[in-house]
Amino acid sequence: MTSRLTRLGFSLLILLSANVSLADVVLVVSAKSPVHILTRNELADIYLGRNSRFPNGQPAVPVDQRESSADYVAFYRHYLGQTPAQIKMHWSRLIFTGRGQPPRSLPSSRAVADFVAEHAQAIGYLDDAYLDERLRRVSIE
Amino acid sequence: MLRKQPHLKVLVTLLACGLSMAAQAATPSLSLDGFGTLGAVYSDEARADHTSSIFAARGAGYSSDWSAEVDSRLGLQLSAEVTPRLSGVVQAISEQRYDGSYQPTIEWANLKYHVTPDLSVRAGRLMLPVFMNAEYRKVGYALPWVRTPQEVYSSIPISNIDGVDISYRFRLGEVNNTLRATYGQTTGKFPYIDQNGERATGAAVAREGFTLGNNLEWQNLRLFTAYTHYRLSIEELTPFFDIYRAFGPDGEAIADRYDMNDKRFDVFSLGANYDTGNWFVMGEWTQSSSRTFVGDSRGWYITHGYRLGSITPYVTYARHSKRSPTSVAGLSQPGTEVLDATLNYFTAYQDSQTRFSLGARWDFARGMNLKAQIDHIDLDAGSNGYLTNRNPAFEPGGSVNLFSLALDFVF
Repeated sequence: MTSRLTRLGFSLLILLSANVSLADVVLVVSAKSPVHILTRNELADIYLGRNSRFPNGQPAVPVDQRESSADYVAFYRHYLGQTPAQIKMHWSRLIFTGRGQPPRSLPSSRAVADFVAEHAQAIGYLDDAYLDERLRRVSIE
Repeated sequence: MLRKQPHLKVLVTLLACGLSMAAQAATPSLSLDGFGTLGAVYSDEARADHTSSIFAARGAGYSSDWSAEVDSRLGLQLSAEVTPRLSGVVQAISEQRYDGSYQPTIEWANLKYHVTPDLSVRAGRLMLPVFMNAEYRKVGYALPWVRTPQEVYSSIPISNIDGVDISYRFRLGEVNNTLRATYGQTTGKFPYIDQNGERATGAAVAREGFTLGNNLEWQNLRLFTAYTHYRLSIEELTPFFDIYRAFGPDGEAIADRYDMNDKRFDVFSLGANYDTGNWFVMGEWTQSSSRTFVGDSRGWYITHGYRLGSITPYVTYARHSKRSPTSVAGLSQPGTEVLDATLNYFTAYQDSQTRFSLGARWDFARGMNLKAQIDHIDLDAGSNGYLTNRNPAFEPGGSVNLFSLALDFVF
């Protein structure tokens, strides 16, 4: 019984990590945005609703992809070190205390590319296949 | 508890107007969110009930071995952004009440105005940020445990207040800091057994409630500090202390020292949470004091959790202790023996306990988790812990074991 449970646990872990390594997700802003680089903490503050501005003081509008998407899982795992369940828990603490709503959710990398390209204040993440000249990749230090 | 308070009705009406305005506006932002818990808890103490708080009528143990009434609840919340600066929210909760019913109550209903992006004021029925996890104490999904540790959270069992708050957020380098002041009043109805052994309902009226809280977030660390004071009255106790008052200055002094008539309570609380993503350690400490028969108490807990994929096992150690004398002299005059014994019955009320708890949370689907938790509670000598509905055969002290299962969800 114990070994079966352990095996089940391991398969779950392997499934999770496999899921994550599939997508290569990059962080982008509009080419018109002055933002080039963010620290991991600055990024986390923007995506977790703790700060509504970029370090330069300009408003930041983060956009998400669907919670069920591989890009979503990869972004939060790679950049914030958190699982979708942890993110959901974080937002439930803010939503049910009236302190915030999660970023707007867009249906695909293409939709994120279009939205970020049109909004100088936006920041998003997408599959690197969707990078184009309207966007700038943001480095994380 | 939706009480007949005119200002709340006005507020609900305003909110309803606001919500319909938002629905008609070109950029409406209206969202409906919900949360809930389906829980069952077993207690091996058959002579008293383990309940969610003093406000619940029944629990596990005495009323029934297993109870689905302790942790189960459903909450619905409607939020509206009327303008980028003005928003409103109404949250209704159905859970077991003092009368054993599940009639939904308005947990909170308020309007928020952003003076600047970092400075906001709210008015209406508000969540009370007295402890680190107090604002979402009823949202099982937002908590690592099946329920908040009673050793700390029972010090102030109420979760909302009718009044105003002001919140200011500022950054110091990488540190995010939110300072909040809340002022208001509330009434909590609780069940009790009167001197004739009949079920009765009492009302605890808190006024001039003031909380100053600070929440600091820096990388993986969260630090919480709050100071709360309020004036509490329980009218049902007044006739008893009036007997003392009839004995002249000595009796009045005793009544003033131990009664619960507009008495000031001071509560300090500290909390810290360090969460690396893979594991977390969280602890809180609180101290409550008042010149009443309840006296002074301290409570604390520490929890460690480790995330293994979607499963998070956790362990908690908690302690609550009453710190004021349980035995008082009373008047000690000929003929006051019964009276003094009754006063000692109040002051002897003891809820000191130590709890060791093991549990696991399994995030098995989006917005859902399943939790299992075992609690071993050691009651101090003479202590009832937080057990209610104690039948005459119940003996204070000893130990109690609880086994809880909970399905939490948000949508």
